Amino acid sequence: MKIDLPQRENVYRQKKGIWFSMHLDSWLLLGIFLLIITGSLIVYSASGSDLNVLIRHLTRVGFAFALMLFFAQIPPNIMRVYTPWIFLIGTLMLISVILFGEMGKGAQRWLDLGIVRFQPSEIMKLALPMMVAWLFAHDTFPPPRKKMLIGIGLVGLTAGLIIIQPDLGTSILIAMSGLFVLFFAGLSWRWIASAIAIVAASLPIVWNFYMYDYQKQRVLTFLNPESDPLGTGYHIIQSKIAIGSGGLEGKGLMGSTQAHLEFLPESTTDFIFAVFAEELGLIGVAALLTLYLLIIARGLYIASQAQDNFARLTAASLVMTLFVYVFVNIGMVSGILPVVGLPLPLISYGGSSMVTLMISFGILMSIQTHKKLLTS
Amino acid sequence: MKNKHRYQTEGEIYFQKQLFRSRIYFALAFCILLLLILLGRMTYLQWIGYNHYQSMAEGNRISVEPLPPVRGRIYDRNHALLADNQPIFTLKFSKDKMENLNKSFIDLQTLLPNLSEERLSKFYDRLNASSRYRQLYLPYTLSEQEAARFAAHSYQFPGMTLVAKLKRTYPFKDSAAHVLGYVGKINQSEYEQLEESSYAGTDVIGKLGIEKYYEPLLHGQPGIQQIETNARGRVIRKLETIPATPGKDIQLTLDIRLQRYIETLLDGKKAAVVVTEPETGEILAFVSSPAYDPNLFVDGISQKNYQALLNNPKRPLINRVINGQYPPGSTVKPFIALAAIENDIISPNTEIHDPGFLEYQDHRYRDWKRRGHGLVDMRKAIVESCDTYFYKLSLDMGIDLIHSSLTPFGFGHITKVDLQNESTGILPSRSWKRNVKNDDWYNGETIITSIGQGFFLATPLQLAKATSILANRGEIIQPRLLKSAPTFVIKKIAIEKTQNWERVIQAMEDTVHSIHGTAHAYARGLPFKMAGKTGTAQVFSLNEGEYNEDEITKNLRDHSLFIGFAPVDKPKIAISVIIENSTTKAAPVAIKIAKYYLEELSNED
Repeated sequence: MKIDLPQRENVYRQKKGIWFSMHLDSWLLLGIFLLIITGSLIVYSASGSDLNVLIRHLTRVGFAFALMLFFAQIPPNIMRVYTPWIFLIGTLMLISVILFGEMGKGAQRWLDLGIVRFQPSEIMKLALPMMVAWLFAHDTFPPPRKKMLIGIGLVGLTAGLIIIQPDLGTSILIAMSGLFVLFFAGLSWRWIASAIAIVAASLPIVWNFYMYDYQKQRVLTFLNPESDPLGTGYHIIQSKIAIGSGGLEGKGLMGSTQAHLEFLPESTTDFIFAVFAEELGLIGVAALLTLYLLIIARGLYIASQAQDNFARLTAASLVMTLFVYVFVNIGMVSGILPVVGLPLPLISYGGSSMVTLMISFGILMSIQTHKKLLTS
Repeated sequence: MKNKHRYQTEGEIYFQKQLFRSRIYFALAFCILLLLILLGRMTYLQWIGYNHYQSMAEGNRISVEPLPPVRGRIYDRNHALLADNQPIFTLKFSKDKMENLNKSFIDLQTLLPNLSEERLSKFYDRLNASSRYRQLYLPYTLSEQEAARFAAHSYQFPGMTLVAKLKRTYPFKDSAAHVLGYVGKINQSEYEQLEESSYAGTDVIGKLGIEKYYEPLLHGQPGIQQIETNARGRVIRKLETIPATPGKDIQLTLDIRLQRYIETLLDGKKAAVVVTEPETGEILAFVSSPAYDPNLFVDGISQKNYQALLNNPKRPLINRVINGQYPPGSTVKPFIALAAIENDIISPNTEIHDPGFLEYQDHRYRDWKRRGHGLVDMRKAIVESCDTYFYKLSLDMGIDLIHSSLTPFGFGHITKVDLQNESTGILPSRSWKRNVKNDDWYNGETIITSIGQGFFLATPLQLAKATSILANRGEIIQPRLLKSAPTFVIKKIAIEKTQNWERVIQAMEDTVHSIHGTAHAYARGLPFKMAGKTGTAQVFSLNEGEYNEDEITKNLRDHSLFIGFAPVDKPKIAISVIIENSTTKAAPVAIKIAKYYLEELSNED
């Protein structure tokens, strides 16, 4: 195989740290640790200093961390080989959720496998972008139009199956993770522009025919939370009060009155950012946003240094998905986006999304640390 | 994945890398931009909006509960408790926390079957009309069993709390009801006038009597309790407490024993009695009979009870002492006589012949004694209450002199006693008639004015005040009910010769004690000297005085009056008595009162 000379920075570096040999990326690891420590403190505070909650949280973090370590050991090539199968299994699970799923919070998202109950959509958060990346693994960028259309089709299929559950928020997020791959693969700006136009144009149709009342209500409440201060607008109003009353320096750790006096709903999960902002203030918020930015920058750097298309696209897409989580969660809690049930990455009380997230960090680390030694 | 793909050229790889990189840079820029938007949003909330949200968070956390002040108690002059506060169980309604008003009320009705539907629906209307954050108390006293039952079901009633509250009670019930008045629910118009902050947590206000007049004294100032609550309103802890300033206890001049004694004497007859201490103006007894039980009004009186009081022909709701305006009848004679001799209209010794009538302008003004009193001097005219003597005297005096010399005694003006809505009575004059009747004054009207008839009207309290001034030999006093108010003599009536006072007073003493005196029959064996004057107020004028007591219905019969004071030398009490329709004579009632007071009560002071 004739391989053209890669540029200098693509060459495997001789400096081999201890983390590197364990297939871990030290910078990502540092960021993850900082977030997990912060998150644990805030979860502890928001739960009203409930040690049991903290212990359960740390247990889940530990489990997710172990999965991260595990996935970091799997070389990207192996992942690529298994990707179509995992995607297939995920799709089948989504179909079976529709057929046999349990109702949870008014929507059938859960699949009970006897031992564990989990949401197959979590698998798809990873499986879909990897599947699309797999599709373009051997193409030059931008890939041919036919493949692009197949990619869009896969995205549409997955999103459609999740919408039926119904879980609009998750389906949009998963669709985005797939679309990010298309974007990084070089989807032309013309396509992107027309896609945005189509989405904008179809919004009224979606509103009228495909949205459930509670979904419409959330959007309406988002547009004017004060219209229903004790109903659906309550979450947003109380969370804005929590954030705003934190001020510049915050009320100090464990100082959240909004959470401790139970004004703030979901204070350990989706709305934990409000507790964080209340206790640590604008300074803390700025620090947290910077930390996220550093992690994202590191992730995009890893993507740019990746050796093949599959790794590149997967890494970039996973990083952007992480960013979307951060942005949507904080945007929702601070009242600039509608309320969608979405945790704040690595801070919220651990759930299945924590596991997915840590796995994606594992994949990133694997991509960074499994480069072929290149010789000329 | 076999090598299906073709090999890439160096240029293609370069282009591909460039494309991917540009997308990465774009993505990074996109992320930075959106994070900056978030940071901007947070700056807006946490920096610019800090004060706003901070106060909202405080408002979330801290609720301010008013601590209502304890209403001042009311005592009589001997520290007997006339108005008390009794702890009771009732329900507090916080409208903002109530969910389904209708359902809650239906459930409450089933839980408390003794609570009348009328009262509940009235309260429902009041709650509906009140502002969202005002707390109201159910005007109903829960028994201990009912309180326990409610406590067990309280989860069904969000926004309703069982509270121990102080309820105003009047232990002597209808005794002195017209003095004390009562408290009742603050109504909308009262609510608009009062200062809202000082009535936070209080839902009653003085409506009548002392309770109303001294409302600012009795009410006090509410305190404030800051409570930290959670989202469900449960109290986490108490933060800061500013205790309430309780209302002042007040002491009245009344002697409840005397008050009750008189009420017993009157036995529910339509009557009014005022007993004052002439030296100070303190009102010792203030009886408007019949009375009502003010306790009925505290929780809001039921329609049935209220109708019964309104429709009672004896009109118990009327305060006869200050609002009953009666013709004073012959009780004005001593005042007219004093004015006449003081102004040298007549000498006290001058005798006038009374044939039983005075003929004036073709009209016969009859004396009450058909055959006449014969030769009458001033003393005899008062003792036997000779009308003809005063008819003649009045023509010599003229209405102007009568008006100007009776005015200092307080006729025609409110006494300024510490109660509201006092009636003025009428001391007729030329200008009064011009203003009110738009007519000239006729001398015939002067004649009947001289015996306290015609336009002349006085309240029992005015008579008591005038009697006190007489007893004081001219010192004008201010009748009052509050004990702690200072005594001050306003001024003295300018009558130069003290013997003029003594002559009139001597005549009044003879009215009670001499053999011909109109009150003599009731005063036999009285161990002290008393001065007095009887009176009869014609309710209904009959032509030429031809009247047969039996034919006239009881309601139209003349009123019986008496004024007096005792002991004559150093008066301790002044009394005015009016018995409507003469169901009993006023004089014996007054004499019994004086006897009871001087013998049983006054020695203790």
